Amino acid sequence: MIMGKAIGLWCRMEMVVAGAALALFFVAGAVHAEDEGLSKETKACLKCHDKEGEQKTLDNNEKLSLHVSTKAFEASEHRKTECEDCHSDIDAKTHGKKKKSIESKRSYSLSMKDTCRECHKKPFKTYEDGLHATLVKAGDEKAPLCSDCHKSHALRSVKILQPIEATPCASCHEDIYKAYARDVHGLERAAKGKVAPICASCHKTHDVKAASFGDGIKDSCLSCHKDSISQHKDWLPNAARHFDAISCPVCHSPGAQRRVNLRLYDRVAKQQLSEKTGVPQFEKRAKAADAANAGLDERALWSLLTEFNQDSGTNNTVLRGRLEVRSGIEAHQISDKAKAVKDCDTCHRPGAEAFQSVTLTIASPDGRPIRHAVQKDVLNSLAAMESVRGFYAIGSTRIKLLDYALVVVLLAGFGGPLVHMTIKWLFRKSREKRLAAQQAIPPAQAIAGDRRDDDASK
Amino acid sequence: MKKIYINPLPVRIWHWTNAVGFVLLIATGVQIRYLDLVQAISFKQAVVAHNWIGFVLIANFFLWLGFYLFSDKIKVYHPELSPTKYFRASFRQLQFYGYGIFRGDPNPHHMSAYRKFNALQSMSYQIIMMMLVPLQFFTGVLLWDVARFSSTVEMFGGVRVVDTIHVLIFIFFTAFILIHPYLASLSQKPWEHYKAMITGYEETEDDAAQG
Repeated sequence: MIMGKAIGLWCRMEMVVAGAALALFFVAGAVHAEDEGLSKETKACLKCHDKEGEQKTLDNNEKLSLHVSTKAFEASEHRKTECEDCHSDIDAKTHGKKKKSIESKRSYSLSMKDTCRECHKKPFKTYEDGLHATLVKAGDEKAPLCSDCHKSHALRSVKILQPIEATPCASCHEDIYKAYARDVHGLERAAKGKVAPICASCHKTHDVKAASFGDGIKDSCLSCHKDSISQHKDWLPNAARHFDAISCPVCHSPGAQRRVNLRLYDRVAKQQLSEKTGVPQFEKRAKAADAANAGLDERALWSLLTEFNQDSGTNNTVLRGRLEVRSGIEAHQISDKAKAVKDCDTCHRPGAEAFQSVTLTIASPDGRPIRHAVQKDVLNSLAAMESVRGFYAIGSTRIKLLDYALVVVLLAGFGGPLVHMTIKWLFRKSREKRLAAQQAIPPAQAIAGDRRDDDASK
Repeated sequence: MKKIYINPLPVRIWHWTNAVGFVLLIATGVQIRYLDLVQAISFKQAVVAHNWIGFVLIANFFLWLGFYLFSDKIKVYHPELSPTKYFRASFRQLQFYGYGIFRGDPNPHHMSAYRKFNALQSMSYQIIMMMLVPLQFFTGVLLWDVARFSSTVEMFGGVRVVDTIHVLIFIFFTAFILIHPYLASLSQKPWEHYKAMITGYEETEDDAAQG
């Protein structure tokens, strides 16, 4: 009996020990897994750097924050990256003891830029091909570097939906962002998330190009609104032509001011003409042709076009007109499609707002537009027919001389018969007398007196 | 007085379809181009109507062309291949309309089934029917879908050039549509030619009229 109790107690003790061992195993496992997130070295760095307000005064007196939140870093995409992978220039022996000179935040970001390339080769390459990198190379102090858009110590996965105000583009393009946040896309994004576009959806993440260059943004619109061409064809005559010559916001941003953009275009290469790097001609020529700075007139426009054609030794440079909104802000005031301009009268009547501003454009080497004003009367001038031959809007850009020709023809069409009838009426008595005289003479003589074409042909 | 069958049925169908069509094309064209002056119908309705009427008239043109190509009536356009006589007769016809008609001179043209047109008509109708009308239809089709025919439009010198040609011919036809009915009334009896274009038969004064 005693023996039996002893065995039972032993068994219970065994079970308690086994349970405790199992629990210890799981706890230990969990602790070990947590350790795997951040290395000992990283933790050692964070021990000092995870202090709010930790900062360094740079040579230009800017304050560079040295604070790295452990919590944010653990949640970041860089959590498995060792500190020294990026900060390889730090010498553990002297770090924190010897003052290191950094000129400015900008110079520090520039020095760190190539570090990103080590791991992110592909996006870095597309970034380098884009407008932002071009501006950086040109020495633009405001052009964004990797760290301006990506918080390196708190980098979240792009798969995680961020609130629209967190888009890094907003920090530089604030006015445009504010317009976007209130337009149909921004409101949809805030309400429904990724089904609606945010900046990068249209302008690309790294391969950012000048929005006004080519048809880039239109392609972005069509990549989501795939049926839009066929939908427009249902109600819009010459829909494809409208798509070619008009940017989407012209109708879909109904409150926007519009303008005609006459772009210098190579009709053989089928692309917008760009200024050659190092030998800018456009501004110099435009200013020379428009000495009074009143905008280029027909002659100036023609001579400018001729000069560009002489450069290439061909006649391939033409002007390609396009209707667009006047600013980037207006391009981001897209309304609900029910409010889009559908009334043809908006553009197809003389004096339409869209044709009151005309600009001549060449692309700068980085793709951004260089503009010079053109007199709006050019669009209605016969003398400019050759220059602006590729742009025409029925009614609003009609050639005035043809209107005068129509008036003359109408006067002649109504007046000619009236004058003829009047003269006939005035001569009625002399005709009657002549007829009476003719009837008085024998018919044979009368016939001989007639001048008929078949007689003459004998 | 003799009656001659001067306007066969296909010609009459073509003529009146063309007449109504051209008036409508001019009306809708004016509405499209002068939206600031005319608001009879909307711009879009005018464009759609203009396009449809244009296509109907293109088909109608081929009715006319087919009839004259496959019948001996083509002779009415050029009875004699003698430029000297032709221009001389045209000049005499002009002289008649500008001077002789007031004096009561007889019309120098003597109508028959194969000499339907006077020299001036024959010359101008050939220019109109073989040059201006096809060119107007062609430019109209290009403007109907500029993007579809973009390479042809570019070959012509661009959409503005194509439109200017279209408008210039439109201006010509506006004048034509005003002057043509008046000239048609300058026969012995004012309604004679109108009647002939409805019934097909025209009354002529002498035996030589028989074709």
